Amino acid sequence: MSFFRSKKMKYYSLVIPRESAWVVMNELARLGQLHFVDYDPQLPMINRPFANYVKRCDDSLFKLSCLELLLKEFKKNLNYCENVEELLDYFSQVQYDRMKPGHTYFDELESEIEQKKIQIQEQSANLQNLLDRVNIITEQQLVLENAKEILGQSMFQQQTPHNPNDYQQLKFGQLIGVIEKEEEVRFKRIIFRVTKGNAWVQIKDLNNQEIDNSMRQSFHLNQNNTSSPRCLYVIVYPGADESSSLKMKLLKVCDSFNRQRIEYPNSMDELQRKMMELNQQLLEVKNLIEMSKQQLEQSLDELVLQKQGCNCSYFEYMRLYVLKEKYLYVNLNYLTMRGSIFTGYFWLPEGLEIIVEEKLRNAMKNNRDHYPTGQIQEIKPYSTTPPTYFNLNEVTMPFQEIVNTYGIPRYQEVNPGLFTIITFPFLFGVMFADIAHGFMLFLCGLYIIFWKNYLLKQTDSMFNLMIPFRYLIVLMGFFAFYNGFIYNDYLSISLNLFGSCYSPEKQEWKRESKDCVYPFGVDPVWQASGSSLNFMNSYKMKLSVILGVIHMLFGILMKGVNTLYFKNYLDFFCEFIPQLLFMICTFGWMDFIIIVKWLNTYENNTDPSIIETMINQVLKPFDKPVYPVFPNEAEFQLHLTQILTLIAVICIPWMLLPKPLILGSKNDKHKVNMSDSQYQPLVLEKQVSEQDDDNNQQFHNDLQNAANLKSFSEQTNEQHDSGEIWVHQMIETIEFVLGGISNTASYLRLWALSLAHGQLAEVFYDMCLAGKLDIGGILGGLLGGYFYIVFALLTFGVLMTMDVMECFLHALRLHWVEFQNKFYKADGYLFNGYSYKKILNDNLKQSNSK
Amino acid sequence: MDLCVFGVDDGYAEAIIRGLRASFLTEAQYQQMKNCASIPELKSFLEETDYQNCLQADNPQIPTSILRQRLKKKLADEFEYIEAQSTGTLTKYLFHLRCRFMIDNVVNMIEGLKNKIDIEILLSNIDPLGWFPEIKNIKVLEGDDYSSLYRDVLIDTPIGVYFMKFLEESIENLHENRTLNDIQNLFREMKPEYIRTSLKKMWLEDFYLFCEQELMPTSQEVLLELLKFEADFKTIQVIYNSIGNRDLNTAAKIITTRKQLCPTIGNLYPDCEKMYLQAMTLDTLREAVKGCDNYRDLLKDAPDPLKREEFNVQTKTLDDIMYDDECRRYALAFDGQGSYGVFYSYLKLKEQEIRNIIWLAEMISRKLAKNHPGWKKIIIPFSHLGK
Repeated sequence: MSFFRSKKMKYYSLVIPRESAWVVMNELARLGQLHFVDYDPQLPMINRPFANYVKRCDDSLFKLSCLELLLKEFKKNLNYCENVEELLDYFSQVQYDRMKPGHTYFDELESEIEQKKIQIQEQSANLQNLLDRVNIITEQQLVLENAKEILGQSMFQQQTPHNPNDYQQLKFGQLIGVIEKEEEVRFKRIIFRVTKGNAWVQIKDLNNQEIDNSMRQSFHLNQNNTSSPRCLYVIVYPGADESSSLKMKLLKVCDSFNRQRIEYPNSMDELQRKMMELNQQLLEVKNLIEMSKQQLEQSLDELVLQKQGCNCSYFEYMRLYVLKEKYLYVNLNYLTMRGSIFTGYFWLPEGLEIIVEEKLRNAMKNNRDHYPTGQIQEIKPYSTTPPTYFNLNEVTMPFQEIVNTYGIPRYQEVNPGLFTIITFPFLFGVMFADIAHGFMLFLCGLYIIFWKNYLLKQTDSMFNLMIPFRYLIVLMGFFAFYNGFIYNDYLSISLNLFGSCYSPEKQEWKRESKDCVYPFGVDPVWQASGSSLNFMNSYKMKLSVILGVIHMLFGILMKGVNTLYFKNYLDFFCEFIPQLLFMICTFGWMDFIIIVKWLNTYENNTDPSIIETMINQVLKPFDKPVYPVFPNEAEFQLHLTQILTLIAVICIPWMLLPKPLILGSKNDKHKVNMSDSQYQPLVLEKQVSEQDDDNNQQFHNDLQNAANLKSFSEQTNEQHDSGEIWVHQMIETIEFVLGGISNTASYLRLWALSLAHGQLAEVFYDMCLAGKLDIGGILGGLLGGYFYIVFALLTFGVLMTMDVMECFLHALRLHWVEFQNKFYKADGYLFNGYSYKKILNDNLKQSNSK
Repeated sequence: MDLCVFGVDDGYAEAIIRGLRASFLTEAQYQQMKNCASIPELKSFLEETDYQNCLQADNPQIPTSILRQRLKKKLADEFEYIEAQSTGTLTKYLFHLRCRFMIDNVVNMIEGLKNKIDIEILLSNIDPLGWFPEIKNIKVLEGDDYSSLYRDVLIDTPIGVYFMKFLEESIENLHENRTLNDIQNLFREMKPEYIRTSLKKMWLEDFYLFCEQELMPTSQEVLLELLKFEADFKTIQVIYNSIGNRDLNTAAKIITTRKQLCPTIGNLYPDCEKMYLQAMTLDTLREAVKGCDNYRDLLKDAPDPLKREEFNVQTKTLDDIMYDDECRRYALAFDGQGSYGVFYSYLKLKEQEIRNIIWLAEMISRKLAKNHPGWKKIIIPFSHLGK
């Protein structure tokens, strides 16, 4: 349960025979505590033993996504899985009932998916064809009707001309058909050019989309917007001759537009007959549509159906199963295959070996063929550092997330996430200090905590996104509330809760008694005095510096804890101690005199200036302070400051010099031994492996040798030469010394933001409420209401959203930069447990119906 | 100056192109492709790359022609997207780029129709980059009557201008008192390849003019240079291919044809024009172009066109040499910022990549031995950068 440091990890090798690889991996994935190490990250996925399976899973998933589109089109609502644990149990139940090796179930599902996909796509294509057919028929009908209207009766009554020169008796031919709407202009133009203007073209919109959609509606199908608008054309050209060149040309042009052309009947009767025919066809096709639609719905319903004992639709069941299978094979690919044995390496949190072994035994028991299952064996980890693993819960998760966003903690390093739980909301509260605003935020957090389950179902709710951060919000609200009391700030008004120690007397404030102190927070009388801003500024400024120095000192202490834990005594003595001393002797001392000054009363304007004291302590180290902080003890203060300054100055070379010198001398010694040491371990390994007759072991060692070599070359790269060490140390020192000053100054943002917050609240109050509520009468009531609404909106928009965000960001910065740079290495990598639960949870879908 | 304002209108489009630049296959990936044993394997490899989405719905045993179509469709989609993001001059510029593909499509259609290939097949094979709505109306073509084809269909299209110029030029070349019959004869004899070359030449000249007049100096600097080289390559190609061509039997005819087909821009024109028009052997051609840059080096490796019959798969033809050199130049265009050169280069290099993939697919489907020289015959874009 330690959250202070990441869990201890152990490195294991896993050996499983090929036959039981699936079973073992299946069993281990339920555990979710293994972090598999890729044995050769350079090897492309495609060359791994199970690449084929992964590919097949991908194909199946792709097919399923095709099916899903169809399901959506036919408005089938799936039941989505909500509890992964139950589903996984159901999976294993199904496996158990099958009485066949587990991995073959995927083959079955795969072929089933393939079959379903082909079947359903065929059916839907069929349906689409029929629908198109209906469209074509209705289009034909429309074209004929319209053509009849446009051409009129006289078209049929043309007679063969007796005299070809008599243009009144010239015979006309006609062409009718359909083209795309957008080609209308081009069509007209080409016809004009081809006939040199000797044809009459009439074009009319078909409104085919509306027809199509209304027809689809009659079958309760989704609207289809893919069809482009079309229109019909009627061309009348001179010369009815069947084989005139003009006609041939026109035919060619019309055909090249790719849409249907319709033969116009020769007589009215024929036209009627054709219309009848079309009507007949239409009826037939519509019947067919009805039938095929039913079939399709039937097969789709099979997918929606929920099987006995399963908590989701069959479709979803298949999808999740394939996902799970894919995940298994991807992880199996991290293992290396040799003959019929798989060997892999994984990290396991300390203390879980027994559970893993039990799982393996279980796998053996459940395994139908009783193949021997795998073995695990602890081995010494080479080269790679273990992953960082924390057991998180819903409270700690957001805080760890804040830290992880900056960088994952190094393995076993002090985890700043633990302190962040309190320091983060607290620093936020210092900036956002207001009783009312803090309380509102607090209530908001409480609301999310108690109505969590209700909110989870509200997919469109704004609160939904804040659910993971509910505990963070509550704490932030609480500390803002608390700090509001300290500053005694309620929407920019001070509350007189405990009775002020001052009372007005003859235009002056009189203190009740010398010992009277306002019990909690700032005395409300300050607000009434003219100098409240001055007082609060100086108070908040000093407070933020004090908080900042404490925060940073704490960070430095954590560095000490880290160095001791990793037994890095060089860093402990040459970095941690001088750093700590430096901080205490400069800014720690400053904090100290601030507090001393608060505690003392100074007579006759002899109160010391802190800044002056600090500056003089360095610039005039031998002059007695004019206004000593310790009243009447200037001599003592002078000696004290001299000592402190001396220590601080000594600390700087102490940080800079010893560490690189010591490292350099070590390096020289190392270089001498280098040539020997490089080969020694390998030779040893070889001896061991020679003794070992087991073939497997030999292979195992070879692998480890390879890994060893790799790591060795990395290590040699990491060995800096002394120049680099010097530069590095110089940067570190300068950064710390300068950082001490600039980081302390950076904590002044605590003051600045709370000042900004207070001033904004005051402006809103003054502009909207103060004085406006005193106007009597109905008008006053209305005005009051109006101004109240403005006030509420401004408070919500500016203070409760924007300012929360701003204070959040500044608190974040104070943690990431000022606090964490004192000790935090942040170069670890996250533990990535091999777990079905995780992968399935990531891929769950929410049904929209709820 | 134009570097300051380039981003205002064209920054986004350029950024997209530079993002797409990452999608080029690397040398290692080519190596893996070469190791594929079958077409399904190649397809599944391509699905790991940027070509993933355009192939997913297909059958694993995908025919090469469909593969090519899919790859080109992807390129066309990308190009269309960029076109949609562009404004003003860039839109015009991108449209000019498309014209090259339109010319190819039109000529392919004409060729196909002449050979009585079904229009549906032809339409399914056109390059999606050069698609325009009138293309299907080319079906109207009767016999060899290009002028009526132009009058009825192509007049409205973007390449109508080039086609008109082409027709005018070819008719002008006839003797004075020409008859309709003469013209028809002329068209009948005309090879589609000839039409293609002359149309492209006109397009190139026109595009060059456009770049010179409308683009900003930085773009000009890059593009004019590229176009000059392209023109020179075209010239050399024309001369090279006409050496020993049996259809052009007289020297005078060769020269007039060459004059018609060689672009009137580039580094070789007009200084070396006289010499290269007269060149009748590879050596004289080499002599003609020696004044310019590295053309001589290029021609040094080229096989002699007079021994065409001896060519086989192993021969590194002039085209291969030229593609290689071009690829290098186009890749260089990506080094500069704020120029339109990247759009042009991107198209060219992607085309090369598609050519490579198709070539490898062909090699794989024919199950050629791994030591076959053909495997080396691909030019990898950006592979010059490392050297």
